[in-house]
Amino acid sequence: MTERLLIANRGEIAVRIARACRDLGISPVAVFSDADRASLHVRLADHAVRIGPAPARESYLLPEKLIDAAKRTGARLVHPGFGFLAENAAFARAVRDAGLVWVGPDPESIAAMGSKTESRARMKAAGVPIVPGMTTPAKDAAEIAAFGREHGFPLLLKASAGGGGKGMRIVRAEEEVPAAFARARSEAVSFFADDAVYCELYVEKSRHVEVQVLGDRTGRVVALGERECSLQRRHQKVLEECPSPVVSPELRARMEESAVAAARSVDYVSAGTVEFLLASDGRFFFLEMNTRIQVEHPVTEMVYGVDLVAEMIRIALGEPMSFDRRPEPRGHAVECRIYAEDPSNGFAPSPGTIHRLRWPQGPGIRVDSGVEEGDTIPLDYDPMVAKLVAFGSDRDEALRRMRRALRESRVEGIETSIPFFLALLDDPDVLSGNVSTQFLESWTYPGDPAPTDDAAELALVAAAVAAARESVAVRGAAQPRPPSAWRTARPTFGHRE
Amino acid sequence: MKYRAKIAGPSGERSVEVEVQLDPTGVVVSLDGRPSRWDVVPTPGGGFSVLRSDGRQAEAVPHPAGNGTVRVRVGAERVTLELLDELTARAQAVAGKGSFRGSGEVKAAIPGRVLRILASPGDSVVEGQPLVVLEAMKMENDVRAHRDGVVRSVEVAAGQAVGAGQVLLSLEPAV
Repeated sequence: MTERLLIANRGEIAVRIARACRDLGISPVAVFSDADRASLHVRLADHAVRIGPAPARESYLLPEKLIDAAKRTGARLVHPGFGFLAENAAFARAVRDAGLVWVGPDPESIAAMGSKTESRARMKAAGVPIVPGMTTPAKDAAEIAAFGREHGFPLLLKASAGGGGKGMRIVRAEEEVPAAFARARSEAVSFFADDAVYCELYVEKSRHVEVQVLGDRTGRVVALGERECSLQRRHQKVLEECPSPVVSPELRARMEESAVAAARSVDYVSAGTVEFLLASDGRFFFLEMNTRIQVEHPVTEMVYGVDLVAEMIRIALGEPMSFDRRPEPRGHAVECRIYAEDPSNGFAPSPGTIHRLRWPQGPGIRVDSGVEEGDTIPLDYDPMVAKLVAFGSDRDEALRRMRRALRESRVEGIETSIPFFLALLDDPDVLSGNVSTQFLESWTYPGDPAPTDDAAELALVAAAVAAARESVAVRGAAQPRPPSAWRTARPTFGHRE
Repeated sequence: MKYRAKIAGPSGERSVEVEVQLDPTGVVVSLDGRPSRWDVVPTPGGGFSVLRSDGRQAEAVPHPAGNGTVRVRVGAERVTLELLDELTARAQAVAGKGSFRGSGEVKAAIPGRVLRILASPGDSVVEGQPLVVLEAMKMENDVRAHRDGVVRSVEVAAGQAVGAGQVLLSLEPAV
């Protein structure tokens, strides 16, 4: 019987997984909420199961519905995609307990990396660099000062009971420590009724660089280079690239070695991502490990010539990864996440029906999207419409192709972040790769550029002709429309109305 | 057909008189009394391939945004212009711009669900004050008063789904 795989997700990533299934000769099974009955991921599947109403907590987040859908359709494999239940160890366990195959890491690996404290402790034991920090509250200011002398300044003082940035203070030099310690303590008391304060190294102007890893059941774990993801808005990545413009081969080798050690420390199987904070002096520190496929995985696929989703499925079926020798990187890839939002209106969400859609094509372009012309972007889920990926022999060519792809795209009916990316790719710091994770906090969308006189004239003629055609159509009955060139040129066959 | 257009350019906003003549062989457009022949053909999705006599071409998609405002995508650029037919333009010029034009309706700019209503009938509100919170795509969005006034009526209830352009509440001038 044909192998079937249930895709426990929706939208773009569900379409991506369905494609990997087809490439492997596996039949994809879709699930859908009421908002997604006619969505592309359903239309591309051989079987589809309704799992509930539109809200995700009543559909895509219900493990029992998903497992039931797999059983009803005879799907043996379950791929969670990203988001929803992708990093839910209990769901992974429930899938296995139901006698199904989980396409992802073992639940124990997910759980170990899901806990901030446990993962930090494991990384320390595995020799993976973590941001230096005190493990117990400071007894006095002198202890903070000693920490600073050992690890360097600036330091970040934090309330042990804190969160959300409250009670945090940056200390730039040793002489500032006594006053800052006193202030941090009193703030900790007033915010959290607990005066415990500790400190860690504060890494300024850091970048977000992450390493792709892949492990299989033969015990093999490989790293497939890094992705640069420093351009983030509201802690959400917007543009990613592979490789990072600042990572040297020597640094890459060290980061890959750490990433493999991190994965091995939790017996990692399947595709995963080890996120690092990269300081401007070249030091890097473990942030967290994402125990799933990442949104930005296509840039790695383009540069390393692998299909990560297909590898995940092969590995879940007990096969080794498909390559003996680790593939060598070639060229450069950039990804822009196109969202249904209006950059000239404070990035307000812009759901609605796409009545005209043209994705870019041609050399070096890949589009991963979950929608087609005529589709509606529902209100209920993440507003990502597509991922545009551009590949080139080097970074410059990849960026030029990305600009071409953005300009070639036409999405009518909703607003998208395409104008934002066109402006972003005009910024000299972005073009030279001189960015940090704080870059987009201070970079504001300059607004739609003032139209050139040329564009204004063409726009005016189009608008006026559209208005004139409409009023002709409205008055059509009273004032018959003159025969168009098309009509008169057309040969007539028999009866004509 | 005659129109009056206002359009922003690199040299500020300017006013243009437009006349369009559609005939079987093409389009003649006069801009400020200077006629020229254009080749304008419809493209899928309500747009046009606009070809000027000197060979300049762009795909342009006009989106009427109400009150004569038209947003046009030209290639990757966005152009906002105001286009009024001659009669409407003349009527507006005669009426002038009052201090409380329009119906005072506060509308949803985007489709969403009403999360909270922050004003009740009889409340005095000032321009920019949040009146309704809409939830769309996992985000909360404030709908604010576009002018000072007094809330006359609230047309929606919390939890209700609303479409783009739907009236949420209406304001009247303060006495």
